[in-house]
Amino acid sequence: MDYISLFVKSIFVDNMIFAYFLGMCSYLAVSKNVKTAAGLGVAVIFVLLVTLPINYLLNKYVLAEDGIFGVDLSFLTFIVFIAVIAAAVQIVEMVVERYAPSLYSALGIYLPLIAVNCAIMGGSLFMQNREFASCGEATVYALGSGVGWFIAIVALAAIREKLQYSNVPKPLRGIGITFITVGLMAMAFMTFMGITL
Amino acid sequence: MNTNSNAYTIVYTSIIVILSAAILALASQALKPRQDANIKADTISQMMTAAQFNTEGLSNDAMINLYKGAIKESFIIDNKGSKVSEMDKAASEIFSTSKLKAQNSILKRGKADQMKLPVYVFNKDGKDITVIPVYGAGLWGPIWGYLALEPDMKTLAGAFFNHESETPGLGAKIKDDPSFRARFVGKSIDLNAKPAFEIVKGGEGNKSNAIDAITGATMTSRGVGAAIADWLDLYKAYLTKAEE
Amino acid sequence: MNAKLKETILNPLFSVNPITVLVLGICSALAVTVELKGALVMALSVTIVTALSCLVLSLLRNSIPNRVRIIIQLVVVSMLVILVDQILKAYAYQIDTQLSVYIGLIITNCIVMGRIEAFALANKPIPSFLDGLFNGIGYGMILIVLAIFRELFGSGTLLGFRIIPQAFYDAGYVNNGLVILPPMALILIGCVIWIQRGVQKELQED
Repeated sequence: MDYISLFVKSIFVDNMIFAYFLGMCSYLAVSKNVKTAAGLGVAVIFVLLVTLPINYLLNKYVLAEDGIFGVDLSFLTFIVFIAVIAAAVQIVEMVVERYAPSLYSALGIYLPLIAVNCAIMGGSLFMQNREFASCGEATVYALGSGVGWFIAIVALAAIREKLQYSNVPKPLRGIGITFITVGLMAMAFMTFMGITL
Repeated sequence: MNTNSNAYTIVYTSIIVILSAAILALASQALKPRQDANIKADTISQMMTAAQFNTEGLSNDAMINLYKGAIKESFIIDNKGSKVSEMDKAASEIFSTSKLKAQNSILKRGKADQMKLPVYVFNKDGKDITVIPVYGAGLWGPIWGYLALEPDMKTLAGAFFNHESETPGLGAKIKDDPSFRARFVGKSIDLNAKPAFEIVKGGEGNKSNAIDAITGATMTSRGVGAAIADWLDLYKAYLTKAEE
Repeated sequence: MNAKLKETILNPLFSVNPITVLVLGICSALAVTVELKGALVMALSVTIVTALSCLVLSLLRNSIPNRVRIIIQLVVVSMLVILVDQILKAYAYQIDTQLSVYIGLIITNCIVMGRIEAFALANKPIPSFLDGLFNGIGYGMILIVLAIFRELFGSGTLLGFRIIPQAFYDAGYVNNGLVILPPMALILIGCVIWIQRGVQKELQED
């Protein structure tokens, strides 16, 4: 599969949020304003970009039956993937804390929660399932999914900023109306479903 | 003790990681024979369900006995349709799902001519029912299944599908909903058409080589369709030969 | 029962519910609520896993180096889950085939890690265990409400049994296909939040 179509497909057709509903928790909680949302979006892109190629290589050369140990270690798949992801998240957390303290406090608990952001684990599992031919494809896929997630969260944050000025029923304000907005956005994105590039 | 020093951090992490890996490796080793026996019986139950045998509630041993009683031939072919080797019938040797997975990786690498493809022939009420596997990707993880063919090698006697992690209630219906696999019974494959068998959204119309997809599980249905089409293509040479 | 304990037990059920207030565990709430059976299995597994992981990590809390705490948490949680999976695969294969679908969803469920981060690492083992237990129950409650609604209107059944009689279908009633799709689940959670905040006015945001 050529890289450009894989990239475009992973942004729109296979959008992590609207097609697979992965990484919803931090998506909904950290989309109050565009700036914080963009910060988290970049963090997700970064973590995906780092973890997918590493997990690709681990899966191909260590966990597989014809890997370096010569035994099927697939029962370790989850734990290995999640350890790599957790390590990457830990690095991001330390970097953000050091260089962007205001973003760090705005993200709060949702920064460490990137580690259990299903979008990232999902990315690794999809990568394993689709059996990409090369590390390059896995990286392009990681970039595409990350950008798709970034676009989704920034779009939602922009809508929520505008929603501040509308007259939403009181009990629905904040997270309630956000759920409904995302539901409607997802329906719109369903039009991309099944497009083959 | 300073729990934030570098040395402590590294040692602590290593101990936890190695301990966890060791516990899992130990558990996996110790439990493997039992797991393998379960997996083998389950695989047999999958292919025999496809061939319309009643396997419900059978113990592992009963399942093996049922298999031994019904199996007529089991062998490996290549994608040109010629027999490569026999499977050990006395030991009721089967081609496990993990082996299918390995074969599918070979296919994905574009080396279809190196693949080993299992064929099982069961004797069901005096008829020879041929069972072949299919393998592919669903929405979240691998999906696989078995197609059972009547002696004319065209009509489907039945099918069974399984999956690793499809959505419960949607994609998981390929296994959980008996009415899905019932849709295959009596349909036929058309090896000259591309694809030989289809899963169509919104009803198959009057096509005999297609069935209706599962509502709300488009991706899984499409995966099943692709798995069937891809693998029937591999068996095409064998099935065409056997038909004559 | 002292006030603090009561808070630990009651808060996760209503005023600090993991789904409707903390916004944790949404992915799985969308994925497993198409039918009631899946929701029950998931609710039960998450409750057990959250409670046990909170207990274990609370015991370890003073020894975990802060910089690698995420890795340690996840390794411990996934080890527990996979171990149970392996044992079930050997001794209760049929149950395992039903459960194996959920393994990934349980490990990456934000509730498990969210509660470890927010509570277990700063509290004693017993309160942590209870916190995990009742957060699991609070999560399960919402899951079951959603699943009842989605299965009833999406497929006309509950736990696989037909509830909406055939006569309705004969009279022209059709299942609502939209309800079984994930976008509708989001909108339903929105409605649950709406109702909850209509009752508990102190939760309303400005």
